[in-house]
Amino acid sequence: MTQVKLSGLTKRFDEKSEPAVDRLDIEIESGKLTALLGPSGCGKTTTMKMIAGLLRPTDGDILFDGSSIVGIAPEDRGAVMVFQNYLLFPYMSVADNIGFGLKMRGVSRSEIRTRVRDMLDLVQMPGFEERRPKQLSGGQQQRIALARALIVQPNVLLLDEPLSNLDAHLRDEMRELISGIQTELGITTVFVTHDQEEAVVLADKIALLFEGRLQQFDVPDAFYETPGTVDIAKFFGGTNFIPGRCEDGRITTAIGRFRAPHTAVDRGEAVLSIRPEAVELGGGGGNSVRGRIRSHVYVGRYARFRVMIGEVEIEVITDPGQVKKLSDGDEVSVRFDPDKIWILGPAADGKDGRADSDSARQPAG
Amino acid sequence: MNEKAPANPSRLPSLPRMRLSEKGARRMTIGVLLAPVIVVILLLFMGGLITGFLRSLGYFPLIGLNDFNFDAYLSIFTDNGFIRSFVLTFHIAFTSTVIASILAIASAMLLRPAFRGKRFVQFIFSLNLTIPHLVGAVGVLYLFSGSGLVSRLATGAGLIDAPAEFPALVFDPWAIGIIIQYVWKEIPFIGVIVLAILLSVGEDYESVARSLGANRWQAFRHVTLPLVMPGVVSASVIVFAFTFGAFEIPWLLGATFPKALPVLAFESYTDVDLAARPQAMAMAMVIAFMSSLMILAYMKLSRRYIRS
Ligand SMILES: Nc1ncnc2c1ncn2[C@@H]1O[C@H](COP(=O)(O)OP(=O)(O)O)[C@@H](O)[C@H]1O
Ligand SMILES: [Mg+2]
Repeated sequence: MTQVKLSGLTKRFDEKSEPAVDRLDIEIESGKLTALLGPSGCGKTTTMKMIAGLLRPTDGDILFDGSSIVGIAPEDRGAVMVFQNYLLFPYMSVADNIGFGLKMRGVSRSEIRTRVRDMLDLVQMPGFEERRPKQLSGGQQQRIALARALIVQPNVLLLDEPLSNLDAHLRDEMRELISGIQTELGITTVFVTHDQEEAVVLADKIALLFEGRLQQFDVPDAFYETPGTVDIAKFFGGTNFIPGRCEDGRITTAIGRFRAPHTAVDRGEAVLSIRPEAVELGGGGGNSVRGRIRSHVYVGRYARFRVMIGEVEIEVITDPGQVKKLSDGDEVSVRFDPDKIWILGPAADGKDGRADSDSARQPAG
Repeated sequence: MNEKAPANPSRLPSLPRMRLSEKGARRMTIGVLLAPVIVVILLLFMGGLITGFLRSLGYFPLIGLNDFNFDAYLSIFTDNGFIRSFVLTFHIAFTSTVIASILAIASAMLLRPAFRGKRFVQFIFSLNLTIPHLVGAVGVLYLFSGSGLVSRLATGAGLIDAPAEFPALVFDPWAIGIIIQYVWKEIPFIGVIVLAILLSVGEDYESVARSLGANRWQAFRHVTLPLVMPGVVSASVIVFAFTFGAFEIPWLLGATFPKALPVLAFESYTDVDLAARPQAMAMAMVIAFMSSLMILAYMKLSRRYIRS
């Protein structure tokens, strides 16, 4: 299979505005499933189109197995892109749609017919040859679009938001199908998504993009355990952030001083981050502070507490049994396991790392 | 609404006066509102067609012809001149339509991408939609006749020795002048329709094709063309019907023999010999019939093309 390398890849649609894709460096391993993740408009589709050869990069290079393919026409790259809105040719039958790539290569009619049948089996839609795209549901169209791409046996498969137009149960089905086919055929696959959960479940590695720039390129768990910046951690959600200053493996915050050996910054302004499930209540010992329980909910499999430490509110997730021992207003010892603390650089916007909605919150002022 | 009686029920005696569903009532209201227009169209069109048909069968009491017969049809179909005219007219309509369609698609492809000054170019491109055919005919005369500008320029440049050597492009048996005029006039008509389709469909389908292994030409042939074809067909059907039945351009730019069918029909009709009237009407019927037939065949063919 093919290894894909993006090197300083840049796309500027016009001179005045910011580049849509800005100096991207990514090395996509051969035969792996890689996610391009980021909010809408961050340049994911643009990146895909450049890899497929449908857009010319303004700057930088794209290498397949070490050799540049920027000058090569899309039909000669061996990279096939499946568009977000499927784009089945409306005037063709399902069979003609799937067989399109082979017809362009001059494959004989009878061979096309057998291979189309194989593809329909692969995407679990046998017998759909004579249907028209209009007569198919969104999920079925997606499968046909996938079959149409796979039939030409691409070296690189590019899937643009393959799941985002499907409703929940179809999404799970499609996810399994993609993952199954990818494992079976071992095609180097890049798929685009704006949903971090989707990326985590499917991908071997994730490239996170904000505003055309690569934020982090890593295995999925790294985005939870060792995110590079507060923005990245926030995108993955559900973490407590406490601003402070760090030095020599310790961080000093408004609520105390903590030992924190794992860190993305050496010294200076920093943010302590810890996931709600890594905070222990009532244990005591090193790295502990006193807090007061503000509120709690019992969710069945776990319990969620909001705890005030001085002026700072944090979220804690514990086993459900804690509900019997602790009630609102109780004073409690709060322990931050040093191995679970991750120290980040300060938030890009200069403010503290206030997380959205259901993660840690600090009272105003 | 369904209780409301028509404003003047006595004029619409056939309207059933009973309770109708809302939808039926609305449909009926629309029918009533459209009635004057429909009546006018039916009177003018069907009336003309029926009168013409009757007269082509030799029924014209005013001049003392009271029998029905197929003499007029027999005489025109056995007349070599009529057959030549028919072939010429078909040639004019078919050639103009095909050339205009091809050039219109090419122009629309050129006008599709964004470029500096695009709006201006587009304005110039669609400008002659507003220019009457007659002006175009005069232009063709001025440019391409034996004493026209092109002929004199060619002489001046030494390409030909004398204007008389200039090939006959006007009043010529191949109707080249007529076809030039029709093509010039109809390119933007078909072109703006194709361009509108291209812009609304976008380039993603072609991108998909390229990504799947189609080269530029294959993507055009197998994706772009089928996508714009329905628009091209609708537009060129109109062009075909018009160029098959139009009188003034072949009258101005055509050769004396053979004449285009509409010219032949008109001249028979205005012939001092009243006996030629049924033949004129028979020709008009043939024109109407052929236009309809050609359009049907053309639509069938293009539909098959789209499917393949
Ligand atoms: N053809 C284009 N012309 C101008 N700007 C474009 C074009 N395509 C995309 N953009 C811009 O580039 C940015 C990235 O777009 P895109 O790659 O589609 O984002 P994503 O797929 O991540 O949602 C957006 O700001 C978008 O408006
Ligand atoms: Mg996109």
